[in-house]
Amino acid sequence: MKIALAAIAAALIGLPYLGLPAFYESFGYLLLSAIVLATSWNLLSGYSGYFSFGHGAFFGVGVYTTAALAGKHGWNFLWTLPLAALAATALGVALGAIVFRVRALRGELFALLTLAITFVLATIALNAVDGGPGIMVNVDMPRLAPTASGVLYLLMLAAAALTLWTAYAIYHSRFGTGLFAIHDDEDVAEVMGVPTYRFKLAAFAISCALAGLAGGVHAVFVSYVTVAETFSIALAVNVVLMAALGGTRHWLGPAVGAVAITVLLYAFTGGDAAVAGRALTGLILIVVIVAMPQGILGQILKRFRTKTPSRAVVRAEDAPRQAVTATTGPLLVARGITKAFKGVQALAGANLEVRRGEILGLVGPNGSGKSTLINVVSGHYRADAGSIRFEGEELVGTPAHRIARAGIARTYQIPRPFPQLTVLQNIALPPMFGQVVMHRAAAEREAWRWLEFTNLSDKAHRYPGELNLHQRKFLELARALASRPKLLFLDEVLSGLTLSEMDGALRLIRAIRDQGATIVFVEHVMRAVMELTDRVAVLTYGRAIAEGAPAEVMRHPDVVSAYLGTAHV
Amino acid sequence: MPSATLLGQSVLSGVFIGALYGLLGLGLTLSWGMLRQVNLAHFALAFLGGYLTFQLSARLDPFVILALVAPVFFVLGMALHWFFLRFSVTLLNTLLVTFGITSIIEAGIQWYWTADFHRMENAYAAVRWKLGPLFVSLTDMVTLGFALALALGTWGVLRFTDLGKAIRATTEDAPIAAAFGVNEKLLGYLVSGLAAAVAAVAGLCLALNHTLAPVQIYAWMGVVFAAVMMGGLGRPIGPLVAGIVIGVSEAITMAVTNPTWAPLVSFSLLIAILLFRPARF
Amino acid sequence: MYEVSDVTVNYGAAAAVSRVRLRIEPGELVVVVGPNGAGKSTLINAMAGLQAVASGRLLVEGNDITREAPHRFCERGIAIVPEGRRLFANLSVRENLELGSYRAGARSARAASLARVCALFPVLAERMDAPAGALSGGQQQMVAIARALMARPRFLLLDEPSLGLSPMITGDMFRAIREINTEGVAVLLVEQNVAAALGLARRAYVLEEGRIVAEGDPQQLLSQPQIRKAYLGIGA
Repeated sequence: MKIALAAIAAALIGLPYLGLPAFYESFGYLLLSAIVLATSWNLLSGYSGYFSFGHGAFFGVGVYTTAALAGKHGWNFLWTLPLAALAATALGVALGAIVFRVRALRGELFALLTLAITFVLATIALNAVDGGPGIMVNVDMPRLAPTASGVLYLLMLAAAALTLWTAYAIYHSRFGTGLFAIHDDEDVAEVMGVPTYRFKLAAFAISCALAGLAGGVHAVFVSYVTVAETFSIALAVNVVLMAALGGTRHWLGPAVGAVAITVLLYAFTGGDAAVAGRALTGLILIVVIVAMPQGILGQILKRFRTKTPSRAVVRAEDAPRQAVTATTGPLLVARGITKAFKGVQALAGANLEVRRGEILGLVGPNGSGKSTLINVVSGHYRADAGSIRFEGEELVGTPAHRIARAGIARTYQIPRPFPQLTVLQNIALPPMFGQVVMHRAAAEREAWRWLEFTNLSDKAHRYPGELNLHQRKFLELARALASRPKLLFLDEVLSGLTLSEMDGALRLIRAIRDQGATIVFVEHVMRAVMELTDRVAVLTYGRAIAEGAPAEVMRHPDVVSAYLGTAHV
Repeated sequence: MPSATLLGQSVLSGVFIGALYGLLGLGLTLSWGMLRQVNLAHFALAFLGGYLTFQLSARLDPFVILALVAPVFFVLGMALHWFFLRFSVTLLNTLLVTFGITSIIEAGIQWYWTADFHRMENAYAAVRWKLGPLFVSLTDMVTLGFALALALGTWGVLRFTDLGKAIRATTEDAPIAAAFGVNEKLLGYLVSGLAAAVAAVAGLCLALNHTLAPVQIYAWMGVVFAAVMMGGLGRPIGPLVAGIVIGVSEAITMAVTNPTWAPLVSFSLLIAILLFRPARF
Repeated sequence: MYEVSDVTVNYGAAAAVSRVRLRIEPGELVVVVGPNGAGKSTLINAMAGLQAVASGRLLVEGNDITREAPHRFCERGIAIVPEGRRLFANLSVRENLELGSYRAGARSARAASLARVCALFPVLAERMDAPAGALSGGQQQMVAIARALMARPRFLLLDEPSLGLSPMITGDMFRAIREINTEGVAVLLVEQNVAAALGLARRAYVLEEGRIVAEGDPQQLLSQPQIRKAYLGIGA
């Protein structure tokens, strides 16, 4: 394998020295340029799901930086390249810093915003920089190859190598996993500890930098730079097309698509054939979106994924143990928590105290605010008022990913696994971003332990969609446990389970507590609550009305009337 | 500083171009707001309508052509909706699929009519009126008339008729609307068909007032999207009002400064709205 | 009569409702109680056509409607007041009510129906043109019930109408439901508020973990230890 790669690399680098007609170098340049643009676009848009239609803008910034500096002001061309990348990055970071803070800005809105940026930049470039007629870029080429086109080819080859290496590195890193989690479910990713804002900004910055770099080289390639050609929508849409065609989930997908589309477009040159080429490209796009939503590469890889790769070896002494909390006193104290949604007062001054090492049952009729309380404590929602102190630290106002880092984990009432990550990857995520930050390999070993613990080992490489409800609930559980939380909130983990499944779940929960975790257990299945909990807190209408030993609390007249109601008619 | 007459004429032309933005945006806002489908191909369809009008204008009156083309487009709209339902196409993918359709239609247009500019000759183009010191052409008024009639008409249907209320209810909560007898699928076909028929009308107005060229299809996309988003998704009068605001501010910009600054206005407005009022969507 | 015959409805791979048999006679008021997670919502949604039935049959006046399209259920005289109200928040109260009478059979009697629901819930008359989402929880619940009445149903299905409501408003609401039933509309009420619900009905079913475990006279059921156990987890 390595020999083959080396041979290909040698062939690619050696191309300009073979004395072939310039066409080959130019075509090679265009292929490589498409690869750089499509792959760099994918770093943000494919990996994290924030589809940008503005890649052309950052490319254009790179083009104009080099055109202005080298073409107009005579700078050394090579020095302008890092500046082109820098200019594009600066713009991207400025934009991202504002845009990524706006929570409602997802999906198609981000796409349109970035499209709008392209037009704005084009106008500014046209009026402020270019003045109309365009910029001539005639530079002295460094003597890396016999011809000018050869030099450009080599420069773009270097850019492509850098881009592909970056895509590969990110794909296999913790950063990449975080981006994929953001793609699948950003809110849950944040609650699991992924610093979503920072990651999105970083991906955007890298993506823009590479586009800017390609732009800088391109300015010299075209030698005559105009706004119309540079900031065209065609580029913005073509990169989307290439990545979608090849497969946005894989680091190499966009490159595959880029090669396919470039070859297609240039197979038809001139006159009617060009027109037919565009129609064919459109048709292919439609077919791919509909029939192969994961792209060509994704479809191919799916065939090979059914083979199950190796398992980590689990040693007996690696049995899971929770983090030991050193200090004394209650673990969590919540006072006066208030939260309203559009006129509905979900929590009206709720109080809760959780003691170390206990299993606390949190019960109450439907609509009493139990799930909302969990959401507020874990950072999914922000409390309107009140204070939550966890080991002495105030949690209200802290971003969710820091709350996860502090050692709080939760499951969701309706399981919310990351649909496009495997079961193993789902469980490996919290350890990567939790209290003790682990590398991917260590996190996956950790995940294997929890897979064993919850009997999901044989499902490790499946996707959550292939699991039944019972298994998905256990997946939720394993994922929450994997970060070795100090405090674990279980939100109706038993609902929907059959009686025998429920017994297994209860055993599991006891085992978790025995290893040192503190558990808050929201449940409606009363039998489970009575059997399992050390203490019970009852919520109604958004506030706590009783707290104490299960048998006493459930006999309390207020609690009885809250559950059974008072006769009205 | 330009004269009052020049400024007045600019504002007027801004209104008329804004009306066309509104007309193009009507179909788009309906399918995006009501059906959750972003139909980029709407522009290509409108241009196709324009080209067909141009092609047949030698034999038939343009309005007669519209009467023939609109029903055909209605069916095409329904076919597109069927396609989206059949393949469960998600919102973001409708953007990509319709881009593919745009490429196909655009290629088809270029193949048959070539990339050259075409301008439709017709008797209506010559009719102009004088409004004080300003000139207004019949074809401009036709555009404005259609835009107003269709926007207001659609608004009226949505607001006052049972059908309109059913459409609005389905957009909010389709299963519960169904529990009260609303047939979601049927309404979906109706809205798609209508949006496509409106594209035919927009095509007529394009042919009457502008030169046609395949590359123009993309030129309108950006600014009409801006109008749709500024007007609020699913609101029929929104794109018209926003379109006129954009058109007039562009026209004034062009009259007062260098014309090439004009796009900055509409897109800056769009960006501002997206950043500060994203909750509208 | 609305008969549910051996109906099973799935949630994922497991059955949320398992071979349930129940019936509503014309003009009856029947109550279904059960702890949370018992499958009450699933059952009522299936009866309203909102959820597909895996096996078994739904029979209205002897007609098998199990496989009919969701938008055809209301033609059979079935109207639902769903859990959480699910009003069309951006439409006005009036428009919500008008949509209730969307079906052909109810449209012609719209004016009369409007008058009737305003008499039943006087507070609605004042807020006709307000967007439904702006109303308080209790008022929204009234709109939801009124909307269902506008469909002139023979069978009114209510899914936990007291959810999130204060005790006082709940009392008013149950009184209204009793009045509706007196006028001849058969009512199926799914409730968590057991004491109030059982006080309303002549016949009750107890649903636990997807199965009917008891049926009969409400007063007798209320005194049974299994209800206390199911809800509170303690022996009575």
